[in-house]
Amino acid sequence: MTPPTDGTRRRSPLLALREVSKNFGAVEALVGIDLEVYSHEVVALVGDNGAGKSTLAKVVAGVLTPDAGQVEIEGRPVTIHSPSAANALGVASVFQDLAVCENLDVTANVFLGQEIRGRAGMLRDGQMEVDTRRLLEHLTVRIPSVRTPLRSLSAGQRQAVAIARTLIGEPRIVVLDEPTAALSVAQTAEVLTHIERLREMGLGVILISHNLNDVRAVSDRIEVMRHGRNNGSFPASASHESILAAITGAA
Amino acid sequence: MNAIASVRDALTRNMRQSGILIAFVAIVVLFAALHPSFLSPTNLTNLILQYSYILILAIGMVMIIIAGQIDLSVGSVVALTGAVSAVVVVREGMPWWAGVLAALVVGLLVGIWQGFWVAYVGIPGFIVTLAGMLLFRGLTFLVLDNRSLSPFGGTYYEVANGFLNGLLGGYGFDVFTLVIFGIAVVGYGVSQWRSRQGKVAYQQSVESLPLFALKILVVAAVVMWFGYQLASSRGLPVVLIILAVLIIAYTLVTQKSVFGRHIYAVGGNRHAAELSGVAVRKINFWIFVNMGFLASIAGVVFSSRMNSAQPGAGNMFELDAIAACFIGGASTTGGVGRVGGAMIGGLIMAVMSNGMQLMGVPQSMQQVIKGLVLLLAVAFDIWNKKRASVAR
Repeated sequence: MTPPTDGTRRRSPLLALREVSKNFGAVEALVGIDLEVYSHEVVALVGDNGAGKSTLAKVVAGVLTPDAGQVEIEGRPVTIHSPSAANALGVASVFQDLAVCENLDVTANVFLGQEIRGRAGMLRDGQMEVDTRRLLEHLTVRIPSVRTPLRSLSAGQRQAVAIARTLIGEPRIVVLDEPTAALSVAQTAEVLTHIERLREMGLGVILISHNLNDVRAVSDRIEVMRHGRNNGSFPASASHESILAAITGAA
Repeated sequence: MNAIASVRDALTRNMRQSGILIAFVAIVVLFAALHPSFLSPTNLTNLILQYSYILILAIGMVMIIIAGQIDLSVGSVVALTGAVSAVVVVREGMPWWAGVLAALVVGLLVGIWQGFWVAYVGIPGFIVTLAGMLLFRGLTFLVLDNRSLSPFGGTYYEVANGFLNGLLGGYGFDVFTLVIFGIAVVGYGVSQWRSRQGKVAYQQSVESLPLFALKILVVAAVVMWFGYQLASSRGLPVVLIILAVLIIAYTLVTQKSVFGRHIYAVGGNRHAAELSGVAVRKINFWIFVNMGFLASIAGVVFSSRMNSAQPGAGNMFELDAIAACFIGGASTTGGVGRVGGAMIGGLIMAVMSNGMQLMGVPQSMQQVIKGLVLLLAVAFDIWNKKRASVAR
């Protein structure tokens, strides 16, 4: 893939995948994938079902380890062998449908796995609530109370909480797997605003989606995947038809 | 958030918890009206002595249920730990604390064994502990050589049958007991006040001051009345002290510690917890080790209460403990439940058994009624959940 030659290319990428491959038995889920993500950039990853988008997201998030190829973060080669290792490297992820614990409240979800600890492993709930409120305000998320259990929030609000929780630990790269899949039109619009806020904060965002309209609304660059391979890179202004052709392989 | 919204928020959030508390009060009032000696000092003392070990088991059980598992083996573990203790104390003639220590070690080993199979091999807790139920019952028979061992006597006997009485004197009632209850009430008031102040400092919503004061006063009045009843009977049961320490410690662990938070996360959405960096296997391992530990304490208390170890001891205890958790608001799908709720659930079972015994209700009928109560409690839980999801 040759990246488009605009001004941003001169900086080194936050995240770079070089020739990354992943097999599940005889199935080639990823074949020699290249991907670069810069700060202040939303990169959309599109493709048909089974194109390998979610596998790629899981490789970046540390859920899967690639069989071949290299992952670099800010130019340094790294191995990401677990989600917490990914967090430590500044990569945070929101997974499709699996992002939250519905029985826990907003604060508990935002800080899950990264709780602020006081004496003897005790939770510092007050501090975490204040931080959560600040974080949600920052993302312009509207939620009645940070002590609401997630099960009584709407799907859009839950997704907002899932996005907010990625910001704990001050990541540089955020991976969002189908963040708008189950949402209404209004909720989708809100989540897209949150994604724009992430870009304004200077993060590199990987957005995986089926919905070309959503993708074209927020992303700076669109990478198409097909059968686990790179199948074209487009600016957000590219025509619907050309992207669709790359997705279906008609071109 | 305005006042009405905050009250409604508190009510709906605590619907399950307050519902169970109201049910408990209603049952107590019912039996008090039906039988004059139900609230007598002697009977209240008996109630605690008789059901303490079920409550101890329910503390560990509710943590396991919150994590989405179940433990069917605790009755057998109670028997096994009591049996080992009896061998040490009765047969070998060693001091009482050696027996307690041996029981605790056996309980921890049992917990490590079951935790290993659940957490690291990945066998569901239901299966592992069903096997454990048979396994540890069999071991109990082996350890005891098919005979019961008695008596413990001495200090060991005092664990479940002893009272602290007369340390500070008193006329017709024990001053020491009242002092302990007084300290507990003041401690409760101070901790509630500090937590309220903490919330105010972080600009969280709190209940209004009169409501807060009323809550503290009601709790204080009920607790002091209960303390007075005990004080005018035989004094402060040792086992009540053990129970109180365990309840306070485990309420803190489940509500305020990272470990507790992670138990809820694993039960709520195991996959999300794993992806968030929660060490799911470690959590599963330690809740079973903890259950083994608590089952061994229950084993000591029960063998002490019976003053003997019997091969058939603790039969069906697991079901009483599990019922206590579900009546107390734990969810069958995991992720929901509280130590306090399980204690109230256990007390509901205890009060019903005790009250029906006093009234001479036949054993067969008691079982029928307890079965129905369990069923209705879980039905209420499900109805409540549906209502909540419709409200959204």
